[in-house]
Amino acid sequence: MVSSLFINPFSEDARELVRNYGALDGIADTSEELQEIVKHTDGQNIDDNSLIPGSIMELAVKRLEWYLKREKREFNHGDYAYLLNPEIQEYDVLAFYVLAQATGAKFRPVSREARLVVESTGALIEERFRVLREGERDEITGQVLHELGSGDLRWIELEELLRTRKLKLTDIILDRGRVIIEGDDFMETFQDRIRDRRPERLYQLLVGSGLKETMISRMIMQRTEDYIARVHEMRSRVQPHPLILEAAELIASRVSEEMFAFTGTSVKSAGPGKLVPEAFPPCIKGAMEGVKSGSRNDAIVLLLTSFISYARLYPSIFRDRTPMKVSDLDPDLRITREEILPLIYDAAEKCEPPLFEDDPQEKLNITAKLGFGVHEEPEPENEGESRWYTPMSCEKIKIHLPDLCHPDRICARITNPLSYYNRMKWIMKSEGKGDEGGDEEKDSE
Amino acid sequence: MFEPATPQERRRYYREEWNVRDLPDFIREDIHMREFGFDHHGRGPNDRYRVFSDERRLSVFMKARFPFAAYSSVAFYRDPGRRKGWQRSELIFDVDAKDLPVRSCNCGGVCEECLSQALELVLMMVDTLRGDLGLDDIHVIYSGRGYHIRVLDPEVMEMESEVRAEILRYTAGAREPRREFSDSTGTYELEHFTIPVGYHRVFTERARHLFLHMGGDEEIEGVTKRTVKEIVKNRNLIRDGEWGVFKRRIGPRVYPRLVKGVSKINMRMVDAKVTIDLKRILRLPTSLHSKVSMICMEVKNPETFDPLDSAVPGFVYERK
Repeated sequence: MVSSLFINPFSEDARELVRNYGALDGIADTSEELQEIVKHTDGQNIDDNSLIPGSIMELAVKRLEWYLKREKREFNHGDYAYLLNPEIQEYDVLAFYVLAQATGAKFRPVSREARLVVESTGALIEERFRVLREGERDEITGQVLHELGSGDLRWIELEELLRTRKLKLTDIILDRGRVIIEGDDFMETFQDRIRDRRPERLYQLLVGSGLKETMISRMIMQRTEDYIARVHEMRSRVQPHPLILEAAELIASRVSEEMFAFTGTSVKSAGPGKLVPEAFPPCIKGAMEGVKSGSRNDAIVLLLTSFISYARLYPSIFRDRTPMKVSDLDPDLRITREEILPLIYDAAEKCEPPLFEDDPQEKLNITAKLGFGVHEEPEPENEGESRWYTPMSCEKIKIHLPDLCHPDRICARITNPLSYYNRMKWIMKSEGKGDEGGDEEKDSE
Repeated sequence: MFEPATPQERRRYYREEWNVRDLPDFIREDIHMREFGFDHHGRGPNDRYRVFSDERRLSVFMKARFPFAAYSSVAFYRDPGRRKGWQRSELIFDVDAKDLPVRSCNCGGVCEECLSQALELVLMMVDTLRGDLGLDDIHVIYSGRGYHIRVLDPEVMEMESEVRAEILRYTAGAREPRREFSDSTGTYELEHFTIPVGYHRVFTERARHLFLHMGGDEEIEGVTKRTVKEIVKNRNLIRDGEWGVFKRRIGPRVYPRLVKGVSKINMRMVDAKVTIDLKRILRLPTSLHSKVSMICMEVKNPETFDPLDSAVPGFVYERK
């Protein structure tokens, strides 16, 4: 029978399972029962032994591998069918904790590995909801929401989900600060206002299983993120188990293997290309000409730094959606030091007053926005101390930097300056004006 | 009225009319944790990082310097003189009558009509902040040329800019409402005006406000000038709640584009930068807005508040 363990690794039952498992010495041991469940899963491909996880540790890595491969053309669902088999749930909970602990033990909470683990957790939950039967689905949804503390939930408690854009405030139904999730609550609160439609029907459409499942996956993603951060913070006080460190090494090699396959073969646009300033959108052209104080710091540090670095190194980020590090594309950081930073510093100098004269610490913030922590210059050993931020969206530019937003005709169908850049390069190429074409007419972010 | 104040008039206001005891309690409490800024010559607030350990010292300063404009931070700091040790910030919404992208008057600056429109919008936003988001300790301030909503509910004061921007989108109706919904029986399209709860209701109210205040010359992204004229021509339908008929008149294919355009204008009805800025300084309630000779003041009863009655300093009545 399916239980909430299949969806929620943070339930009391899941925690008890982990407590009862005891020492971690057995996580790399082969489990025949696990192998049997995998082999007997409907639709599972058993031709190749490497597809069958033999131990909890291998299952942990397979969870991540599934996520890294699922968007690729050669992905075969039959290779990972067992991940959607509820019979695996107890092994899966243990594997989840091995994965999260290994990530926290080796990688920073802002690292791409941590991000991939969090995203894969959310994606797997959504996928699992899809395979449940309808009645089962409602029952599990209700139970998991209860376990996650959704009774009398206030939107304030979702602050972290809103801050990290995992959830939109406009997608949830609110009344006096409460998030309305349950049908009875919806009827009691809104019945009098609803005239032209059956309230039960409106509830199903507005909240129903769709919003509940989204909330569950986002809440579990957030808890996973917090858990990884806690493990990372504790690693100096509590020595991680050697097998956890071994799992971390496996994660690192599997992620870089997938990244290598990604840059080396399938996506030609992922690699660096020369900048085409004529294709920059109006906001970026404005920022490069220097900005007056007020918008100055945000224009240089938040907008220009991320735009120039991605436009030069990884313009297809929104299409490929695979997190990369600067050093994956610029291994010796030569392009970053000799091309990207000079452009940013030059624009900073043109500001009024010049940015670094007024706010010298902003140089450190620029380094941080490239993913190299708060340091004077990007150094390989500091990479991963912060995130390599993608360029802010047009919506955000309108809020943060309204003075720079002067849309032209291309902007009308664009939601991010980097998409503008790719589209303009594509237009220039098709008109024969540029040597190097953007290939992202269908960019999305 | 709405003429700049002379230095003599400013001095007279601060020495004869202004009293530090009129400062709202939310400013007086923890006054030592706020940064103050002043504009002495009408060229912007360049005298910043000022701190007053108590209201008496602020009073002495104001009477001695009678500044062109006075501001205090929305943030509370451990060391406000250096803007260090940030503790929390008020959540602010700034609706400036002179900057409203859609308004029924053609005054070019501020007038009774656009001030009233700004207040109407502010009151709707306050209702949403209370009714939907459940926030308390909300103050409406007449700023001289518009209104500020200042929220001191402890639940939001430590929130970061991203969450504040999200609150702004909800409260201002600045995100395109979802149209597609699905359940086990299929996928359906529902217009915002058919959903009388949640964000859809907020958006419908804001769209109504916008359509009813349009002059007909506005530009709405994604739709033609002709559509704008059609909105004005048919807006009585909205007044009567006949949204479905209104949509048919505008055109079912144009309507989704109109909704998107409205969400963009809604974002411009409020100065978003003020909401997301945790270290902003904001005009001090009770101080004089010298550019227009009006008093920045807390609106105790928004239903009856008339700035031309309550916020005009005495010296204006004595001008020749």
